[in-house]
Amino acid sequence: MASIAAVPVRSPSFLPLRNFRNGLQFWPELGLDCTCKYSNGRVTYRKFVVKAMESDVDSGLRNDAVVIKSSEKDYAERQQKLHQNIVAKLHESVGSLPVFAFPIGKLSGMNFTIGLCIVATMLVVVVKGYAAKGSSDRRPGSVADLVRRGQLRSDRRGISTPLKYEDPFNNPMVKVSKSNSTVEMCGKVYRLAPVTLTDELQTVHQKRRSRAYQWKRPTVFLKEGDPIPSDVDPDTVRWIPANHPFATTASDIDEGLAQTNVYQKHGVPFRIQAEHEALQRKLEALQNDQKLGKLVIDPASARDFERPLKSHMKSENQVEHNISTPKSGSSASPSDHPSGNKPLPEELQNP
Amino acid sequence: MISIHTIIKPSTLQFRPKRPSRKPPKTLAPIHALLQYNRKPQLAGDTPRVVVITSGKGGVGKTTTTANIGISLARLGFSAVAIDADVGLRNLDLLLGLENRVNYTVVEVLNGDCRLDQALVRDKQWSNFELLCISKPRSKLPLGFGGKALIWLVDALKNREEGPPDFILIDCPAGIDAGFITAITPANEAVLVTTPDITSLRDADRVTGLLECDGIRDIKMIVNRVRTDMIKGEDMMSVLDVQEMLGLPLLGVIPEDTEVIRSTNRGYPLVLNKPPALAGLAFEQAAWRLVEQDSMKAVMMEEEPKKRGFFSFFGG
Repeated sequence: MASIAAVPVRSPSFLPLRNFRNGLQFWPELGLDCTCKYSNGRVTYRKFVVKAMESDVDSGLRNDAVVIKSSEKDYAERQQKLHQNIVAKLHESVGSLPVFAFPIGKLSGMNFTIGLCIVATMLVVVVKGYAAKGSSDRRPGSVADLVRRGQLRSDRRGISTPLKYEDPFNNPMVKVSKSNSTVEMCGKVYRLAPVTLTDELQTVHQKRRSRAYQWKRPTVFLKEGDPIPSDVDPDTVRWIPANHPFATTASDIDEGLAQTNVYQKHGVPFRIQAEHEALQRKLEALQNDQKLGKLVIDPASARDFERPLKSHMKSENQVEHNISTPKSGSSASPSDHPSGNKPLPEELQNP
Repeated sequence: MISIHTIIKPSTLQFRPKRPSRKPPKTLAPIHALLQYNRKPQLAGDTPRVVVITSGKGGVGKTTTTANIGISLARLGFSAVAIDADVGLRNLDLLLGLENRVNYTVVEVLNGDCRLDQALVRDKQWSNFELLCISKPRSKLPLGFGGKALIWLVDALKNREEGPPDFILIDCPAGIDAGFITAITPANEAVLVTTPDITSLRDADRVTGLLECDGIRDIKMIVNRVRTDMIKGEDMMSVLDVQEMLGLPLLGVIPEDTEVIRSTNRGYPLVLNKPPALAGLAFEQAAWRLVEQDSMKAVMMEEEPKKRGFFSFFGG
């Protein structure tokens, strides 16, 4: 009977399929039955039945049957012959399997390579984890620097216990873990950390700030260089640079008026009203000035102011000229002129 | 209060804007309740609640916070007036998309060029939200005058005909000089915006001290631009570390979100995004807590995900 150990198969799941396919070609000659179950493209052997036979199966079985019926002496001789045949056939079969010698050597090389890869990977993972732990302390600009500088207290960090969370809205985007301490949301995992600020801590901070920051509201704004009035507390003075672009200390606005403007709810705003009234007054004044300019002097009263002229003609002409000058907007026609019915020259009729 | 309730059914937040009606100021007891999206938050404290949003350090997100919390309050049905108290550098109108509608500012009101109601810019989508700017760029305002002017403004808003607003949010300028002093003058409570870095925290601590010296005791904190991945990797302080340093109750934790930049470019507040952004949901939660005068009771800390499968062993 052929020994299975003659065909070592140690790790069938790692061996490539093609080698087994080559080997399977020789199994029927050995009388080896194997049932192969394929799983995930790999060959896994479930049953392996090995029995050695002669090349002629039927004649072998018949010979065995004859040996039983013959004498014991013949039986022993035949057993020896059978063993020799079997050994010879085994040698033949092993010799006819050169392909197996190659995959066996190859298999051991593959195993070594795979093992080496696994070890290397584990080493990489370990080194990576160690580097990640160490880099957080050694990397500049991390929170550890703030702790070293004394800006943060290291003893208070990370002492809170996670809160239990109830999700009443049954949001599929929010996944709560079984222990209710973590929540998965938008692809990230979050833990609920309770706020640790108490009223006492808040009071401590307020007292610290009141000691650190002494400040009085500035009520007096002065330009740089101005003297401080005697009755003003220097702490309440705010100095403004003279060239400050958006600030001025000069108050051109009357405070009372400004307050009134702010509280106004109806009507025209004060400045618009004031401008409108000013414009109105100006227009009226302008109109009055124009009216004065177009006034006609009474000839009776004008003579009192006349100078005595040298020539009589000149005085008559002047009087006529004064009389004939029409008033502005006057609808009086030359025919209605009270001086007489004398027709006036054309150039005197026209204004 | 657990902030995990953020990621749930944001459509339930669509409340109808409340009609403004004249109502006397009322005092309500502080309410402590879990954050629930299926009910309107109950207003606590005296109305109008004058809240100044400040930080000390510039660029931490004060104006973004003011815009988003203001619109969130309007969406929740409360009337709100946002005042941009930055004399000289005006930005709140840009975030709200109202820059083309600002014709008059408080300077014009003081000068008598317009009335106060003409200087208020009402949002077209949310009619119970209004914007008021202190001044136009490059205009001058007497510094000692600014605080009084803001007090008159708040008083005038309280006594207006359609009734006082529920909230008056004042966007404070950076620094602790005259602009800061002007902005905090009429405020009763403060929201301190900070980021989890040491420079911002130092300035925030100083500003908190000045606020307490000036008599403002109700100060809550919003931690902005939080990176949970950096906190996990110990490259950024956690929110609890920030709270340990400042000693202030938490109003909200806003994660870093690229949608903030996009919403600024569009002039569309982040809280109005559909689908909602994480930062927008966080702002809504903060607005909720502001209404009920509540603070956060727990924060979320990112952890390592559970390793699954064979290949996760290799650190992939």
